[in-house]
Amino acid sequence: MSGDQGMMIAKRSVSLSKAYPIMGVFLALLGLLISSVSGILRGLPTSGIPASSAGGLDITTALPLVSVALQAFAGIVFSTPVLLLFVYDKNNGVLEYFLSLGMTQRDVYRQYLKAALMLSAGLVAFAVVIDIAAGLLDGMNGLLLLEVCGLVVAMTLPAVSFGTLVMMSFSSLQKQRVGSNQPLGMAIAVFIVMPAYLVPFVVPPLAFEIDLVLAGLIVVFSVLMYLASSRLISREKLLP
Amino acid sequence: MHTLELVGVSSGYGGKQVLHDITFKAQESAIYVVLGPNGAGKTTLFRTIAGILEPYSGQVLFDGADLTRTKAARKRINYLSHYNAIPEEMTVRHALDFYARIEGGDVDMVLSLLDLEELQNKKVSDLSQGQKKRVSIAKVFLDERDLYLLDEPTSNLDPAVSKEIRDMLLRLSKDRIVLYSSHNLYEARDVGTNLILVRNGKIDYFDKISNIKSKEYRVGIKTTTDISKIVDAKLGDGGYYVLSVSTPEEAGLALKKLIENGVLVTEMRQLDNPLQELFEGRHDQGSSEKEGLN
Repeated sequence: MSGDQGMMIAKRSVSLSKAYPIMGVFLALLGLLISSVSGILRGLPTSGIPASSAGGLDITTALPLVSVALQAFAGIVFSTPVLLLFVYDKNNGVLEYFLSLGMTQRDVYRQYLKAALMLSAGLVAFAVVIDIAAGLLDGMNGLLLLEVCGLVVAMTLPAVSFGTLVMMSFSSLQKQRVGSNQPLGMAIAVFIVMPAYLVPFVVPPLAFEIDLVLAGLIVVFSVLMYLASSRLISREKLLP
Repeated sequence: MHTLELVGVSSGYGGKQVLHDITFKAQESAIYVVLGPNGAGKTTLFRTIAGILEPYSGQVLFDGADLTRTKAARKRINYLSHYNAIPEEMTVRHALDFYARIEGGDVDMVLSLLDLEELQNKKVSDLSQGQKKRVSIAKVFLDERDLYLLDEPTSNLDPAVSKEIRDMLLRLSKDRIVLYSSHNLYEARDVGTNLILVRNGKIDYFDKISNIKSKEYRVGIKTTTDISKIVDAKLGDGGYYVLSVSTPEEAGLALKKLIENGVLVTEMRQLDNPLQELFEGRHDQGSSEKEGLN
């Protein structure tokens, strides 16, 4: 299978379902809006709002970090059509055809994973550019802007990778061939980024560090999941 | 000349064995019809030969190369699943382009070959089942290979298209091995020269179709006059005089006798399909060679 197979799968996924990408863009924009609110708040008189105190909640810092989690969620939603395509291709025999070409089950997963990462990378690039533009206009702290953009990349791509692998595994591990447990994978992927929503409010001084550790853990889980995939899942589970 | 050889192959799904110790050697360029009741293991046999399923034991050799281990050998196979395996969100042309990019081949040629030119800009999802099957078959003819594994290629096709496909396969089979499964015994008899009968995951019969011996041949004869006093035949359904003989030669002698008596014979045909008898386990086991059986 050629190198552009991932791109072809990405294009096919989007043509199969446009609702998820639209929802993903909407969520990403919502995240950007929340991030931008911090800039607006920064310009307002602070009477009555505990804007910053040593070790306490700084809403202008917390909101951009919350938007990171939302943008990771947007990435998962944006790339969900790849999973739908995977199930669809399994059911109509396209995956069987790929296996007949001599591909291993891991080769098959890799192509769909690549497609999911391509889609989410596109959304992340879009979000980062808008983040930077909005941050500069808002006068956001340069370091915070860098942290937010870095975290968006560091958390979204591993979360999408993990979510996609879990979803594909669920579609293959279930006993019934026509079972439909795949959305559970998406739920788990959303769950695993959940701490990133809470950390900026619960432990504000360590929010960035904890988010980074979380992103690292998701990377580890994704790699383990990927390595285990061909052992856990047999070829016949890719057949219609 | 190519050779497909299965040596002690056992295979199945999730540890559940479907094929049991299959051994046969196809060493003639021909169409090998694979017959068997539902659930006998035909599709599993195709999937194992195509390398989709890894055999639990045994070897699948094509011209001496192990198909389960050699990717290069796999490139000599064209496999048609009985699932269409076409991206339905694409147009016919885009779907064939998709496969041509993976495997190579001439899209315009197969569009013309399968009479798909008028449908090329239609979405696959908008096609009828028969039209989808044609697209699926077109994919197989994109590029020429040495071994064709066709799992029910003519299901859902109208008789005219089925005949075209069979004619194409007959041309292909002059210097290639074609394995062809079908539930239509008459089609199987028309297209195949060799038969692989699969029953309960084992090869029940592997031989030339012409070697299948019937216990009794029923021959239908249409004439303009009553022939029941000349030969031992009774008027049956469809206006045929039905003659029961034990060998094809006896039917020839009966025909000779009718002609000598000035009878105008307008039609004469074998009423039963020997494959039907074989399929139902009524054939003369002792008279057929069972080459290469497990």
